[in-house]
Amino acid sequence: MSVEASTRLGTGYTGSLSAALVKHLIIFAVFLTIWEMANRTGIADPLLMPRPTDIVQSIWRIYVTQGNVWLHLWITFQEAMLGCAAGIVIGVSLGVAAVLSDSFRDFLKPYVILIECTPRIAVGPIFVAWMGFGMGSKIALAALVCFFAPFVNTMTGLLGFDEESEELFRSMGATRRQIFWRLMIPTAAPAMGASFKLAVGAAFGGALVAEFISAQNGMGILMARYTMSLNMPSAFAGLLSITLYGFILFRMTEYLDYRALYWRDDDLMAKKSLKRKAKWERTMG
Amino acid sequence: MGSATSVDVTPAEMGASGSGEVVIEARNLTKAFTETVIAVQNANFSIPRGSFVSLVGPSGCGKSTILRLVSGLIDKTAGSVAVHGNEVNGPTGEIGMMFQKAVLLEWRTAVENVLLPTEIRGTITNEDKRKAMDYLHLVGLKDFEFSFPRQLSGGMQQRVALARLLQTGADILLLDEPFGALDEFTRERLNVELLRIVDGPEKTTLFVTHNITEAIFLADYVMVMTPRPGQLAKVIRVPFPRPREIEIEVTPEFQQLVAEVREVLGEFITGDDL
Repeated sequence: MSVEASTRLGTGYTGSLSAALVKHLIIFAVFLTIWEMANRTGIADPLLMPRPTDIVQSIWRIYVTQGNVWLHLWITFQEAMLGCAAGIVIGVSLGVAAVLSDSFRDFLKPYVILIECTPRIAVGPIFVAWMGFGMGSKIALAALVCFFAPFVNTMTGLLGFDEESEELFRSMGATRRQIFWRLMIPTAAPAMGASFKLAVGAAFGGALVAEFISAQNGMGILMARYTMSLNMPSAFAGLLSITLYGFILFRMTEYLDYRALYWRDDDLMAKKSLKRKAKWERTMG
Repeated sequence: MGSATSVDVTPAEMGASGSGEVVIEARNLTKAFTETVIAVQNANFSIPRGSFVSLVGPSGCGKSTILRLVSGLIDKTAGSVAVHGNEVNGPTGEIGMMFQKAVLLEWRTAVENVLLPTEIRGTITNEDKRKAMDYLHLVGLKDFEFSFPRQLSGGMQQRVALARLLQTGADILLLDEPFGALDEFTRERLNVELLRIVDGPEKTTLFVTHNITEAIFLADYVMVMTPRPGQLAKVIRVPFPRPREIEIEVTPEFQQLVAEVREVLGEFITGDDL
């Protein structure tokens, strides 16, 4: 696969990945060394800016010796995923409805603007008051903060086909349903895929914020407890976990997106082409 | 709506050859987008079965509008337009269309694109699949059946679109500058192939173009259109026998026809567009 193709799509699953990795590792090592030295020489306050080595010890403790992080990770994972799923379902449904009905679209417009102007994180305390300390309020906030991108991208994506394509379908006597599934949905797929990536990240943030406000378990409340008791190495360990976790989720969504949109990548397209040919030959005997 | 005179392109004028059975007929066909923007005014024409008719005129003269009125993609404002004797009232799927863009679905392979009209109509049988393959081979795309549109050149994409047009099985073909976006050489070659493919008594073709040479080379009849408002100004019979070779374009007879079309368009010819 050409590097050109991978950079154009911004995926970069192949190409000179290892060279880039080495470069980043070097930068990372230098950064950590400076941090560690600053602590040891007293330039930085070790209480507020714990040493990298202390953070590593904390990571080891919360994951292995104490092993308390797993429960919290699992809780936050569930909240974020359920919230994300709900947000995507709501966003996509509203987007589809807005496209299928002009009057619904006009009706929806002021509300959408209103919601977009509300800092959605600020709804967190209200959700917690309504739904309590459990997972419900976290899921609700995660859904609220992540539904918008799928909604907008579904709507604009579905309307993104060109006029001649629609005329072609109509000239063939296609029904609205056929145009929707065979033309509009695949046309919208790239925009929708991009919005799902955003939604995953946002949902995760939403769940964490709701946990900061009030929760029994979850990464948000765990970090809040560590910070309040000035156990900064563990707080940083938690932060790193969340970052890594968000990164993995993002890359997974990105990868699914890349695989699903095979027609946007030369390499995948070539493979798909061979597969379709083999399938054709099987069915045609 | 003005009272401009209309030139009636009558069956008598058009029926000099062919069976004489009219498959497309327009009477005082008018399309106004607003009160002042009149795309087509009082168009009268009758197209006999098996003929190839070019509709030529400068950009924005309403050629494409006529095509869309015949196909039922847009509604007329006044007059009538009938296909096989039935007043057009929305698209029926029985007319094949081709556009300047290939409009292929880029997530489908070439053969899957060709099968689209069959799929729209119902289920795909192995017979349909074989037919789609045959059409792809007919338009010269052997070995590219499973390529995706983005893997094909512009000319090859239009060949896929042509195969898809044939797959519809329609006996009326409406082509809207189908090769207009291609380079001159590719366009010439595809025009020759188009004639080879649609030639015959069963296919009736209406071909829109702003290229005079192309219009004459392909057609049995050339309908010349003038803009603002779009009106049919004249119909010219093209007497060359078929099959035609590209060499006829340099004969004096051919040049005479070009001059005739140019004369009608006169003031509307502004540049090398025509």
